[in-house]
Amino acid sequence: MSMEDYDHLFKIVLIGNAGVGKTCLVRRFTQGLFPPGQGATIGVDFMIKTVEINGEKVKLQIWDTAGQERFRSITQSYYRSANALILTYDITCEDSFRCLPEWLREIEQYANSKVVTVLVGNKIDLTEKREVLRERAEEFAEAQGMLYLETSAKESDNVEKLFLDLACRLICEAKQNSLVNNVTSPMPGEGKNISYLNCCS
Amino acid sequence: MAESNPAVAVKRSASAGLSAISAEAIEGLTELDELERVYQQLCDEEKQVESELEALISQQGNIETKMLALQRMGPNLQLIEGDATQLSGMITFTCSLAENVSSKVRQLDLAKNRLYQAIQRADDILDLKFCTDGVQTALRNEDYEQAAAHVHRYLSLDQSVIELSRQGGESSAVDASLALLQEAEQRLKALVKERLDQAIADGDLAQVERFFKIFPLLGLHDQGLARFAQYLCAQLAKKAEENLLLAVGGELGERRAALIFADTLTLLLEGIARIVETHQPIVETYYGPGRLYTLIKHLQVECDRQAEKVVDKFIQQRDYQNKFQIVQSSMMRSMSTEKIEPRELDPVLLEVTVMNSRAELYLRFLRRRITADFEVGDATAPKSTVQEHQQSLEKLLTHCLLSRNMQELIGYYIPMEEYYMRESVNKAVAMDTYEKGQLTSSMVDDCFYIVKKCISRALSSSSIDCLCAMINHATSVLESDFREVLYNKLRQGFPATTLQDIQRGVSSAVSLMQTSLQQGKFNTLGIESAEDAKASFLVTLNNVEVCSENIITLKKNLESDCSKLFSQGFGSGEQAQAKIDSCLSDLVSTSSKFKDLLQEGLTELNNTAIKPQVKPWISNFLSISHNIEEDEFNEYEANDPWVQQFIVNLEQLMAEFKAGLSPVIYDTLTSLMTSLISLEMEKTVLKCTFSRLGGLQFDKELRSLVTYLTTVTTWTIRDKFARLTQMATILNLERVTEILDYWGPNSGPLTWRLTPAEVRQVLALRIDFRSEDIKRLRL
Repeated sequence: MSMEDYDHLFKIVLIGNAGVGKTCLVRRFTQGLFPPGQGATIGVDFMIKTVEINGEKVKLQIWDTAGQERFRSITQSYYRSANALILTYDITCEDSFRCLPEWLREIEQYANSKVVTVLVGNKIDLTEKREVLRERAEEFAEAQGMLYLETSAKESDNVEKLFLDLACRLICEAKQNSLVNNVTSPMPGEGKNISYLNCCS
Repeated sequence: MAESNPAVAVKRSASAGLSAISAEAIEGLTELDELERVYQQLCDEEKQVESELEALISQQGNIETKMLALQRMGPNLQLIEGDATQLSGMITFTCSLAENVSSKVRQLDLAKNRLYQAIQRADDILDLKFCTDGVQTALRNEDYEQAAAHVHRYLSLDQSVIELSRQGGESSAVDASLALLQEAEQRLKALVKERLDQAIADGDLAQVERFFKIFPLLGLHDQGLARFAQYLCAQLAKKAEENLLLAVGGELGERRAALIFADTLTLLLEGIARIVETHQPIVETYYGPGRLYTLIKHLQVECDRQAEKVVDKFIQQRDYQNKFQIVQSSMMRSMSTEKIEPRELDPVLLEVTVMNSRAELYLRFLRRRITADFEVGDATAPKSTVQEHQQSLEKLLTHCLLSRNMQELIGYYIPMEEYYMRESVNKAVAMDTYEKGQLTSSMVDDCFYIVKKCISRALSSSSIDCLCAMINHATSVLESDFREVLYNKLRQGFPATTLQDIQRGVSSAVSLMQTSLQQGKFNTLGIESAEDAKASFLVTLNNVEVCSENIITLKKNLESDCSKLFSQGFGSGEQAQAKIDSCLSDLVSTSSKFKDLLQEGLTELNNTAIKPQVKPWISNFLSISHNIEEDEFNEYEANDPWVQQFIVNLEQLMAEFKAGLSPVIYDTLTSLMTSLISLEMEKTVLKCTFSRLGGLQFDKELRSLVTYLTTVTTWTIRDKFARLTQMATILNLERVTEILDYWGPNSGPLTWRLTPAEVRQVLALRIDFRSEDIKRLRL
């Protein structure tokens, strides 16, 4: 596949506390894997996945950042050019939820104003350990003008939806920005994963 | 007949030699015919029998000779029978003999095996005894190597053999030896540990190595390595502490004082590398391959401890944390009470990158050594073991305290380097100067010098993430901050200098003069600032263009620098390469943003400085009558009424831009200008009327203009003037219908750019062409 074989290119940066499952979300989406005992990410990791949305090829550049404090300054340098940020927390960890305002301040400071931010509560497979109620997170996300989604990288719940809906939304905004309004923008849910193109629909 | 012969023979034998016709049947015959027929039949039969008999008789002789021969063979057969019986007896005998022999061989074999086993056991017992005795003597003689060799021999004996020996007749003796040996083994182990500890305490390398080599013989690999590492760590710590003390207390006048902590860290890491280099052979020889990891794991603990001390001292003495906090707060709030002069950060930023690059180099060295050692050890190991080893290696290297410390230092370094870059670029912009005769001003070179310096410094840290972060920041500084500066300069516009403006300028200068005269001094700020603004606009255009080119050059240089880094083995392969490629492609995309800005600036210049000047010059054309006769034509010939002046004006107008703009930009600008001229000329010409000679005059004028414009631009302008040239052709016609010589099928190589309606419109400009003729034309 040639380098320019796509209609859209978007940069998505995953952020959030250490250990909330950012790497697992990315691995699940890009490789279909759930690597148990994933070590802490060093600096930033970089993955590419091309998906198809309404017949358009969308190349997603996914930057998986380290959650640990000492890598923060590396991570911050990627905010400005990001089209979308996926702010992740762990529903079984109250602490990771409480840190969200701090992350929002970071976004405010470093990201560009047009960035799309999605709040993601990960690890919903661990129902019995839940510490953050869904309603509470939804309320918080709404107040901050963010989309909200709960996922499980382990069970592969909502992971595809997260990235594909995000891609739909980014296409939408790109088309509005380029003032080509007569083209119908894809609605969330229309995203198709190229790798699973022939799966049951 | 031949066929019926066998049938007849069968019948005959069945009826026992009787004729086919029975006697009764003959007796019952009464008719003559019947009798004759039967008689005939009987005669035939007789004849046949006779011939058969003859045949049999003729065979008689033959059969007799055969019988004779058979009778002669009789005695021979008896002889053969006798021989056969004899042979059979012999075979039976041989067979039983063979079976006899082979069973004996089997027995022999069994006996031999047992004998061997017996010998082996005897040997083992002998060995055991020999070991027992040997160990005793060796221990007595303090020949620990020999003793250990004996114990090793004992340990490598098959334990079941030893068990068996104990059950034998000599059990008590063997038991005694075994007890002795085991006791000796324990004693030796204790002794060797003690002596090694003693040697370690004494720091006696020769003794340490001596006892270190004995450990694996006693099956104490891990303990040996741990103790040896303990010795090495002690040595390491001593040296490292000395070095750190020297660094902290050293005279700061030294040449490398600015890098003293980086140097101290380097000494530490080089020291460990040297230890590994020196001692790897002994470990390999006496402990076997695959053990280097264990040794280094122990060493790394000390390395981490010592490195942390160096880093702590560095942070403390260089005020690193504090500097970071000041930088961070001044970046958060643009107005800050305390600000650090970027130049003050130079040494500390350099030192951090040196420290990190040394750490990376060291970790890379460890990775190479351990991987190679594992490869030898795991040559036949299952895949899971290989993977497990790889994982533990990865964990050791990426999660050791040294790595963490370095990651923290780099974590502070990046914002400080970013601050350094932003502040320095701001300063370069503030101190921007422009020297007459130069196309660009100082800030472009300065800015790119700074950006390059910062990225290069990040690159020299050998940390891919650090480099990527700085490329990202550089992109941001260039695209936002620096481009903004240039954009704002261009937005101030190119001061218009139409006639009114000059008048206004003069009057304001006069009023200025008056006021300044009143104040007792002369001030030409008004006029000068307009000139300055013009120069500033042109310089900015050049700046923008150079920026866009510099970015591409910067990217290319960085690419080649990075491939050098990768070829040295830094960065973990494809991942790192992909990250850098992505960051670099963001950087290079800012180049086109500068190009867009240049285009905007040029359009602005064309609109404000060229269009308002050129338009009136072209409209002057209207005041020159082209409805002329011979006399006027000749008069025009002698005194050019318009085009020469127009060309002179253009020349003067563009001279300023030619001098002030880079050739590429100037070329683009003249291209914009020629488009403007051709468009305006077209509109103007359509407002005039022409005589035959007037048309000729216009043709001459157009030719002069095109010839001039061709000399000032490298673009091809013939195309831009194609419509005008065709208009001139039409205005030059003798009569209306002559157009048909050039139109349609007669157009030849000429491609008409004018529509038939436009052709009629132009024809109508000729006063001597009748409108009916024009209408009648079929185009």
